[in-house]
Amino acid sequence: MDTLSRRKFLQLTGMGAAGAAATQLSLTQIAEAAQSRPMPTGTPILVVVTLYGGNDGLNTLVPYLDPIYLASRPGISLTAKDVIPLGSDGLALNGSMTGFKTLWDRGQLAIVRGVGYPTPDYSHFSSMAYWQTGVPHSHVNSGWIGRWLDTQPHDPMRAIGLGSVLPPLLAGVKNAGSVLPLGGLVVPKGLVAKEFMALSKTSSSDTPLQAAAASSFGDLFSLSSKVQPVLAKPAPVPDDLPSAVGGNFGSDTSLSQQLDIVAKLVAAGAPTKVWSVSLGGFDTHADEVKAQSLLIGTVSTAVTKFLSQIHATDRANDVTVMVYSEFGRRVKANGTNGTDHGTAGPVFVMGQGVNGGQFFGDEPSLSKLVNGDLAVTTDFRDIYGSMLEDVLTTPVGEVIPGWSSKIDGLILKA
Amino acid sequence: MAITSDRVAISRLINRFGFGPKPGEFASLLAMGLPAATSKLMTVPNSDAGIAAVIETDFPNRGKFPTPGTPERFSFEQLQKSDRINVELWWLDRMVLADHALTERMTWFWHGHWATSMGKVEYARPMKIQNETLRKYSLGNFKDQAQAMVIDPALMYWLDAGSNVKQAPNENLARELMELFTIGVSNYSEDDVKAVARGLTGYSVDRSAATFTFNANKHDSTSFAILGSTKSWDASSIIDLLVARDDNKKFVTDRLWFRFLSSALPKPSDIESSFNNRDIAPVMTKIASYVTKDDPGMSQVKSPVEWFVAVCRALKITPSTAQNRAQIINYLDKLGQVPFNPPNVGGWPYDEAWLNIASTQYRIGFTSFLLDQGDLSPIKGLSGLAMENALADWLGIAEFSTRTKAVLRSPGLTSAQIVIAALCSPEYVVNG
Repeated sequence: MDTLSRRKFLQLTGMGAAGAAATQLSLTQIAEAAQSRPMPTGTPILVVVTLYGGNDGLNTLVPYLDPIYLASRPGISLTAKDVIPLGSDGLALNGSMTGFKTLWDRGQLAIVRGVGYPTPDYSHFSSMAYWQTGVPHSHVNSGWIGRWLDTQPHDPMRAIGLGSVLPPLLAGVKNAGSVLPLGGLVVPKGLVAKEFMALSKTSSSDTPLQAAAASSFGDLFSLSSKVQPVLAKPAPVPDDLPSAVGGNFGSDTSLSQQLDIVAKLVAAGAPTKVWSVSLGGFDTHADEVKAQSLLIGTVSTAVTKFLSQIHATDRANDVTVMVYSEFGRRVKANGTNGTDHGTAGPVFVMGQGVNGGQFFGDEPSLSKLVNGDLAVTTDFRDIYGSMLEDVLTTPVGEVIPGWSSKIDGLILKA
Repeated sequence: MAITSDRVAISRLINRFGFGPKPGEFASLLAMGLPAATSKLMTVPNSDAGIAAVIETDFPNRGKFPTPGTPERFSFEQLQKSDRINVELWWLDRMVLADHALTERMTWFWHGHWATSMGKVEYARPMKIQNETLRKYSLGNFKDQAQAMVIDPALMYWLDAGSNVKQAPNENLARELMELFTIGVSNYSEDDVKAVARGLTGYSVDRSAATFTFNANKHDSTSFAILGSTKSWDASSIIDLLVARDDNKKFVTDRLWFRFLSSALPKPSDIESSFNNRDIAPVMTKIASYVTKDDPGMSQVKSPVEWFVAVCRALKITPSTAQNRAQIINYLDKLGQVPFNPPNVGGWPYDEAWLNIASTQYRIGFTSFLLDQGDLSPIKGLSGLAMENALADWLGIAEFSTRTKAVLRSPGLTSAQIVIAALCSPEYVVNG
């Protein structure tokens, strides 16, 4: 298992935060915005959760009664005792996903099946680039949320990624999202602080990269003075967690740490409409059952807790969460109780505004594989269409070139 | 093309084809002029007193992990942790202490190219052995390097090559071998990935011993096509095929240009031909000849390890014997770059990725930590312009900006505070 693929996964040659450089932003406005113009309640907020490494969709949403599934994966297939059935059509959640089952039963989780794009690419880097740019089989430098930012008035706080590196999905052509490191922001005090403030001025002799280095000093000081007090406050307390899943929320996973910060800032009224968080390690080529169950269980637990934290605020109706990975995995196990890179996988969409408790998109048939892989039944751009049009209220065609469709009924109209 | 001053060109050479100057080195290179300085920096000497001073540590075969939950397991994991820190500091010592740093700089580049992480390999021994292989071929022939790497136990374990058998091929190494190591994405088909995986079947890896064995009965020796050539394949013939291709020449020289000189400007057209024989030294000399190009797109951000090593060289700090050495690794981790621990098989990000509020914050904290044990004598007793000039020469900076000069002249600053500001300044973090 690739244990280190998390937030840094994408920073490969040609794919780093290239678009962001041109838009190195002063975060002074962000800092002021957090206090002076809290976002009105009722403003929709999208939280994008990226699972790096290629999550095994078949061991996440499990066709546990299908004889082809069982026969294809001796050693790693899950059976009735390992899963949580969803209704009567033979699909079940991985047994670690008790939180998602609760959301499903409440009608707050919709599962889109068989999601991918035409002519799947099996490279982590290419496939994740296609998902994050929103343009398969192309080498554009901007991300889909970044281009959405381009349609909005300039505001560096409008989209924020948790971590120390800007994920490509937040880099637009003229605007870019901001990053917020997990440990919060600490700046020196006293005389040295004054020096560093002065280092933030740009100089006429600066190259573009030197100017960017200078502005990062100013950003550090202005953001830390305003955001740090918010981060120091306790996070909202979950208020509607069922006891069955309440017991194991003490685990301090990286994803739940990230979502804790998001919950605090959402509760504080930050004018941020899109948040990006992530978890890595899903590249399970070997001995995958335990590791993948643990990881996807972490996702289920962390997101369920987050939505319960949001439920305790006055923005319970405002937040939509989308969880995706760059591809699913091969139907057949490989020789090491793992799976190689595959194609389609499920996407999870959650929140009180989601038309949940049901599936969208057809489940790929295990008897009609394409080169041994699941056929893609839903284009991910249709999900982006729903997120853009029905959550962020922006026509999809303004963000995804030449795209006009969405998944009807996925998001409930307010 | 417009030409820069010698100060700019030599600052680029010493920072990119090395890890920044030791005290006094930049001034002596300037005194000899650009042609002699280039020749000196690009020619590896036969002996290196700095490297000879590096303390060698043995990383024996530690054997298998004991059963979880036992006292043996606990002490084994402590030992593993100590091995990992020791091998990280061992390599940082080499980078810092080398009098002639080109070999270490090349090894660092190739580590990012064949990016293998101890996060999965877990044992220091195979990582060190891989590192020695990369160093051996760092300026040699790329085909020899690729032949050695395709059967490198750490790389094989990292990409599951040790469990790739003809009954159930594992494609991990096959795909990355083409996409990231030799010819680049979109120069092969999915059928080629499957075929290369078949051709690489039959190996098993002993991770703690850092050895591999080839089992002919698990190898698919039938005849099949890879990139249009049909025969019975093995690791060696697959490397021969991939490295001989023109797209290999383009792919490797693109990466070298991008990482040594510019992620913004296109590679000049005359570079590829110096890699016709896949010899690395001539193409590096050719690339180095472009340090005089006067263009803002030539500037380059020091990655966290590059920045840290440059700081240690200037301040005469040896990482393995520094006070609180575990804190060094901790800071590098916060900055996002620890040797032997790339984030993924694609290696580390570059340039803008290292410039954000988080890295700025950690760089300030790290510098303050290092300053307490650094040697500041190069600017001792100096002030004003004399101090500024001595500081720029000491650190290998072509010229401070008016912004930074104003900071350095702030009244009341101690020498240590002046040096902290200089080491975090845009001109130091970004080589112009």
